[in-house]
Amino acid sequence: MTPCGHWVMAMNNRLLAVIDASAHSAFDKLTLHRLPGALPYAGRYRLIDFALSTLRNASIINVAIFPSGNYRSLQDHVGSGKRWNLDRRRDGLFILPPKNLSMPAEDTLSFMRMHEHIEYFRRSTQEYALVMPADIVWNIDFNAVLTDHIESGAQITEIKHQNTRMQTYIISKKELLEYINSYDVIPYQTLNDVVLKKKPLNYNVYDHQGYSKRIRDASTYHRSNLDMLKFEIGTQIFSTEWPILTKEKTAPPARYMPSSDVMNAMIGSGSLIQGTVHNSIIGRDCVIKEGAEVYNSVLMSNAVIEKSAHLNYTVIDKGVVVKRGTVLEGTTTQPFVTQKEQIITTRSNLSVLFAASEAYPYVKTGGLADVVGGLSRALSKKGVNVKVALPLYPQIKRQYQNTYAFHDSMTFSFDGELRKVNVYWLERKKVGFYFLENFKYFERDHLYGYDDDCKRFAFYNRAVVQLLHIIDPVDIVHAHDWHAGLIPRLLKHHHATPPGSLLTIHNIDYQGACGGEVLDALGLPSNPEGINFLEDGILQSTKLSTVSPTYRNELRYEYFGKNLTPALQRRERDFHGVLNGLPSVFSPATDKVILSPYDAPNAFAKTENKLALQKQMTLPMGIHNFVIGMVSRIAEQKGFDLVIGALSHFLGVYTDVQFVLLGTGDEALMERLKQLEKAYPAQVKLNLGYDATEPNHIYAGADLFLMPSRVEPCGLSQMIAMKYGTIPLVRRTGGLADSVTDFDPLSKEGTGFTFYNYDTDALLERLGDAYHTFKEHKDDWRMLVSRVMKADFSLSTQAQKILELYLSIKS
Amino acid sequence: MVLVGGRGTRLDPITRRQAKPAVVFGGKYRLIDFVLSNLTNSQIDTVGILTQYEPHTLMHYIEHGASWDLDLIDGGIQFLTPYTAYEGDQWQKGTAHAIRQHMHFINQHDPENVIILSGDHVYKMDYNAMIEDHKASGAAITIATFTPHDALSRYGVLELDSDGFIQSFEEKPKHPKGTHASMGIYVFKSDALKTILNDNMPEGFDFGKDIIPKALKDAYPVHAYQFEGYFRDVGTIESLYEANMDLIDHPEYLRLNDYKHLPLFTKSSNYPPHHVMLNEPINNALISDGCLIEGTIERSVISPNVAVREKAVVKNCVIEPGVTINENCYLENVYVLADTVIMPGTQIIYDSVQVLDNDTLWALGDGHE
Repeated sequence: MTPCGHWVMAMNNRLLAVIDASAHSAFDKLTLHRLPGALPYAGRYRLIDFALSTLRNASIINVAIFPSGNYRSLQDHVGSGKRWNLDRRRDGLFILPPKNLSMPAEDTLSFMRMHEHIEYFRRSTQEYALVMPADIVWNIDFNAVLTDHIESGAQITEIKHQNTRMQTYIISKKELLEYINSYDVIPYQTLNDVVLKKKPLNYNVYDHQGYSKRIRDASTYHRSNLDMLKFEIGTQIFSTEWPILTKEKTAPPARYMPSSDVMNAMIGSGSLIQGTVHNSIIGRDCVIKEGAEVYNSVLMSNAVIEKSAHLNYTVIDKGVVVKRGTVLEGTTTQPFVTQKEQIITTRSNLSVLFAASEAYPYVKTGGLADVVGGLSRALSKKGVNVKVALPLYPQIKRQYQNTYAFHDSMTFSFDGELRKVNVYWLERKKVGFYFLENFKYFERDHLYGYDDDCKRFAFYNRAVVQLLHIIDPVDIVHAHDWHAGLIPRLLKHHHATPPGSLLTIHNIDYQGACGGEVLDALGLPSNPEGINFLEDGILQSTKLSTVSPTYRNELRYEYFGKNLTPALQRRERDFHGVLNGLPSVFSPATDKVILSPYDAPNAFAKTENKLALQKQMTLPMGIHNFVIGMVSRIAEQKGFDLVIGALSHFLGVYTDVQFVLLGTGDEALMERLKQLEKAYPAQVKLNLGYDATEPNHIYAGADLFLMPSRVEPCGLSQMIAMKYGTIPLVRRTGGLADSVTDFDPLSKEGTGFTFYNYDTDALLERLGDAYHTFKEHKDDWRMLVSRVMKADFSLSTQAQKILELYLSIKS
Repeated sequence: MVLVGGRGTRLDPITRRQAKPAVVFGGKYRLIDFVLSNLTNSQIDTVGILTQYEPHTLMHYIEHGASWDLDLIDGGIQFLTPYTAYEGDQWQKGTAHAIRQHMHFINQHDPENVIILSGDHVYKMDYNAMIEDHKASGAAITIATFTPHDALSRYGVLELDSDGFIQSFEEKPKHPKGTHASMGIYVFKSDALKTILNDNMPEGFDFGKDIIPKALKDAYPVHAYQFEGYFRDVGTIESLYEANMDLIDHPEYLRLNDYKHLPLFTKSSNYPPHHVMLNEPINNALISDGCLIEGTIERSVISPNVAVREKAVVKNCVIEPGVTINENCYLENVYVLADTVIMPGTQIIYDSVQVLDNDTLWALGDGHE
């Protein structure tokens, strides 16, 4: 034991520490400008203080921090490490960022990234290495862990708290170096992989009794902060004997005015309390004005909560101003999260106009229509006044002519001529729809695919901007995809005080790269190089979003962002990822198509659907057969290379595995799939037609849902499969990474099986893991089924995050 | 040069175990923070601190001066302690004497001007303005002055001519002739300082009492720099208490929340933010990190790591660090010294402020009414 007060005691020369400060996407806005380790905590600290202080208290003097992503704030906070006795002549503090910047870094520190700094490990003299994440809140004695490790004689010791794995390991440096040196030939990328997969492995668990929490998303962040208000937890974490140290700041004691009303709150220095604060954490230099109410909230530093504002279950980032009378309400699982330095006002009638080329239920060719239809409705349920402007296609006319009414008409000049647009209007479930009628541009059989698409949608953009002159004012125009990409620019061109704009990128492959004649038609300054609708929207809109947080991060790399990478990098600060929600219609309990509806408590009834699927597909029936399902467009992007490669092995080894695929697409791939079917006729059934069977049979009947996409911005099928209790096996990319967490057989956490490296072996390995879990750990499998069915992918969650973005645009 | 050697006998027992500049102020500060922050805010980066009386708390507190950005390779903070030399013991007999003992420190850095400060004043000041004034007037010595809020007779009183040069100086006069009081802050031309100190020794030891009158007598040009801001010499318990209360009643005086213009730096504690547990009234209070508040606080300054238990009432008090005020206590007009433990149900009400510590409590006996 080395109590801090006697820090002069011997330096710990046996243990070096590696802190994994990798970025990860689950925090969204909170980690837009900082790594998770740099998140402010408990009104005064940063998350990494817990790692650094516990290391200091164990007299550890050689610490390497491996950050990835934007580590400015982290670097600023730790400085020379002096606060934690780490500014040393020998050893001390090392910050070791990734060297390979061309690929997105994984969210866990890999041996490969350690290998980039192999010199650090070679040069250090300590015998053991402690590898830990930067996002744990705890106060632990690492010397006790080291003693336990040595006494156990184990190769690797992991710290657990009440069955939760803390992914904090002690390993001999020699052994760690072996893994690092052979990172490209061993089947383990991280110490976590070693623990899960290496057999035999002498693995020891150290059970830490005290409070321990990994902070992995906004909800755990919020909850853990409020945990500090529980007296026993707070005093144990902020022990005087084993102190948590942080960077010095200058702030006077907090000031309380007579109007203050405070109960169960931790309040940081420099704050001025005039209003009500209950059950909350208030950071440094906050101002809670008279009449403001703060309940169950976490405020970082320099927030100002104005008169009669009301906060409940919120996370307020640094420097945010919540204006008079604003009401922000979150829930325990979904706290309302602001962005840094945002000014938030709500008027009850926040008004938004959607601009999109299609919207459910009026016109639909793809997923965009579903998102626009679902999101507009979910936002209106949250009190937003939503309107949607659509071109009036003949399809809409045919079906809905009797439901909409003439609203107004407008005339403007386009392409050198005056053009007239008739505007029709209807309201559906509290969402207003404007249909813009123009014979020349919109009266076609199909939505897209014409030579003059550029001009058609330029005309649409111009018409939407004109529409704003004849309807009630809106606060924000929410443009979707390239079809609405020029609206942000046109708004500025045609409105003296333009509303704010949000551009959502659903599909970066379609960009609207158009010639200069479009600019001329719109009366914009000409440019012989033409104009890219999506790129222009990216550069001109107030804020940007895309369909998942991970995809948002991936788009910064050329592999994903392609030609738009520079534009997206430029707008990085205003670019957000919001995972699409799943409409509530996807439910096995109300599904009319499947044989036997079921819900989570009665998930065993899923078996009947499995047998029905086998029967329908003429596969050998049996509940012990392992049914792998896929519903997918057949394209290289969806990972069919891997599927074909892995299955041709896997089906041969395990003859009780069955594979069912529904989809159509690329001819060459379909041909190869047919070969697979021919090779395993009793195990593989393909349904490659356009007029295919209902996909719901597969969602309900399969055990495992396969989605090993190379690129997947969001993906809905995995969410649908999960709602139906089918366990997903996905590659950790885009929305797949944000909707599926890897199942960990030790801690039993996770919702599916994931892999990262795009190669057949990685997929094969996880297929094997899934198969063995299904066959040999039936309890685990049942638990997974009931867990995935309860996963929250609601439109309401998506709408909440979009609403948070709107509020940041308005300010 | 910062003088921190004085005993501050009038602050007894607050200063019984520490030098006056180490006294806690405004909850989380110490008096020395003002002069060190002023120095760093004035970009003066070569500082000699002259210590004598009970220096350990202070030296431990200041360390290398990193908290004030004064830990520099060239210059920075140097502690100048009394020493024994070939000529005999050099125990300091007064402020000027102390400076003379460390003339080698001044010679070593060879500055144009030397500013002499005290470590026990409460004020925020940019010394550059004073030094500019000193250079502009061409004076050998410049003295900073202020207009006191209380009796002039407590201070060194200056009489000025129309150009701001000093005609007369009286230390604590019964019938003051002038209207300006000395802040005890002096800028000397280095040469003048050396000459005067060498000429004037050994009969006088003190700047206020001996050196300034002597300089005036010798017809050195002595100028007054009129400081407009808030200034308190907290030489007595009453004035220390009043200055603390000014933080509550007049936050505009010292603007502790202003981090841009003359911020006040301090060495930070390791405590988490304070925790207010119960919904009791807290009116006009300054509460520091690490406190646990269950009781009622009214117009009081609470230092770090203080516990105020259930149903305790703290009114018009200054509470130093580490104090525990147990259940059902009632304190009014009390200045509670560090680490005092007040037993449950203790009621102490003074008409005017009194100091309380474990010893006084012992003398008063348990359950004192």
